[in-house]
Amino acid sequence: MSFITKLFMIDCHEANNCCDKAQYKDAKPLEKFRLYLHLAVCKACRKYTQKNRKLSRMIKKSKLETCPEEKKKQWKEQITKTYVQDNV
Amino acid sequence: MPAHSLDPNKWVDKYSDYLFNYTIVRVNDREVANDLISETFLAALKSAKYFKGKASERTWLISILKRKIIDYYRKINSRKGKAEVKIHYSEDYNEGEWLEEQVPDQFDRTAEDEMENNELGLAILECLDSINEKHAAIFKRKTIDGADTEAICNEFGITPSNLWVIIHRARTALAACLEKNWF
Ligand SMILES: [Zn+2]
Repeated sequence: MSFITKLFMIDCHEANNCCDKAQYKDAKPLEKFRLYLHLAVCKACRKYTQKNRKLSRMIKKSKLETCPEEKKKQWKEQITKTYVQDNV
Repeated sequence: MPAHSLDPNKWVDKYSDYLFNYTIVRVNDREVANDLISETFLAALKSAKYFKGKASERTWLISILKRKIIDYYRKINSRKGKAEVKIHYSEDYNEGEWLEEQVPDQFDRTAEDEMENNELGLAILECLDSINEKHAAIFKRKTIDGADTEAICNEFGITPSNLWVIIHRARTALAACLEKNWF
């Protein structure tokens, strides 16, 4: 295997990993390049990438939020307090 | 034995994000949403003895929350109603028609889309229920909160490669679940 091939060719497992990272803008330029190169020759990974992007779009569209930890703590305390009170 | 049982100590971890996202599009005010969720938990504890186990915990909590939201709007409307008698009695309208009655017409495409997107969000949270609790928490930190990989690794005591394996599994499971339940 030539040096170039070794540097740029990745397997499907690695390609999916790069694709996941790309969903979070965590893929480095080299990783992205390797991914695109792999996608050019691999139908299965093209399919995965398509599905993965769609999922990202859906999550973005849903505008989901999580409650702040602080608030959660407060609710937990409130529940514990009431729960214990009612069950003594 | 009933099909479902209650475990109040887990309510916050399991359902607070779901309840919050359900509420926020309906009341558009964080403060109010948080208060309604507080009231919902307390009301749920008070009526826990009437829980028959027919519905799931989540469905039951949502039914209580719905009543809290309706009560909240009733309170506002009765307050507003009194004020509006003096202000908004437009002469362009037929007798007895209120400006306020125009509001449902403005409930247009945008609002419809917003509700659909919200339902999608709730479906996503429901799907995340079926994966490992810690993995779901890591997925949410990364995907919904947009936290840094490094920060999450420190928080949960995992390596970046652990994180990406967890994220990959969560995304695959989520995509399959949505495929089944959403489309
Ligand atoms: Zn491949």
